[in-house]
Amino acid sequence: MSNHNIVQPDFGVGEKKVSIYLFGFVSCCILTIIAFWAVMSGRFSHRVMFFIIYPAAIIQFLVQVICFLRLHTQTQSGKNNVISFIFTGVVLLTIVVGSLWIMWTLNYNMMH
Amino acid sequence: MHNILVHDEHGHDSDGADVFGFWLYIMTDCVLFGTLFVAFLSLTYPLMAGPSLKDYIDLSQVLAETFFLLTSNLTFFIAILYLNKNKIFSAQLWLAITFLLGVGFVYLEIHEFVHMAHEGFRWNVSGHISAFFTLVGTHGLHVSFGLLWILTMIIQLPFIKTSQIRTRRMTYLGLFWNFLDIVWIFLFTIVYLTGAI
Repeated sequence: MSNHNIVQPDFGVGEKKVSIYLFGFVSCCILTIIAFWAVMSGRFSHRVMFFIIYPAAIIQFLVQVICFLRLHTQTQSGKNNVISFIFTGVVLLTIVVGSLWIMWTLNYNMMH
Repeated sequence: MHNILVHDEHGHDSDGADVFGFWLYIMTDCVLFGTLFVAFLSLTYPLMAGPSLKDYIDLSQVLAETFFLLTSNLTFFIAILYLNKNKIFSAQLWLAITFLLGVGFVYLEIHEFVHMAHEGFRWNVSGHISAFFTLVGTHGLHVSFGLLWILTMIIQLPFIKTSQIRTRRMTYLGLFWNFLDIVWIFLFTIVYLTGAI
């Protein structure tokens, strides 16, 4: 096992741990089923459906990033990954929020 | 920069820099998907012309696609575990299962597209539909290239001599494959589930 660590550099993607991975996999399954069930069962109002599927997606996203991609800040390469990840988040937020704001306001202005 | 040069003398940390480069590529891919999502959203809400996605979605099929992709991530992980124990054949076997699950995903998606096109939900009908096919199609194309990559990896594995190179290549592929599943979370939530409501 001591050799194990030398052969496998960290790459900033964390050590492979079965327990963490299985926890992530089961959580993802449950969250996916909840989201689909909320819409397919048709027993909720539209507003409630949105309140179920979007938090479910965000939680599943976080679970996958933490349990599968193993983002962490323990090593330098891990930190680099997290910094670039956050930077991409800022870029995405700018693109998505900015574009939708412009397009949807444009639509509103043309209708009224 | 200085930091990387110093670490380079130790050998394996240059791999770290390589993987970081691949990670950056995936981050740029996120931006690509972000723009496609925006295009889809601005062409769909609040007003849209032509037929609506709602009448053409089969959610149970989308659920099946989701589980194909999610399970393929698990089988890929098992392949990595076997690789770390230097059991190449078992790793190949689990990669093959990953490949089959991925093929199942792509098959269902193409099946869905063909069905939609037959019903008149074609890419050239409206901006909304074009954006839908561009977004979902780009993801499908990524998965297809991922499948090609997995196939290459299955063939390559026994020929790669050092386990360090094997681990590095599998790390690339693992990041890519997992990234596709993460994009799919947003795809099925924003496009399919929201579309079906």
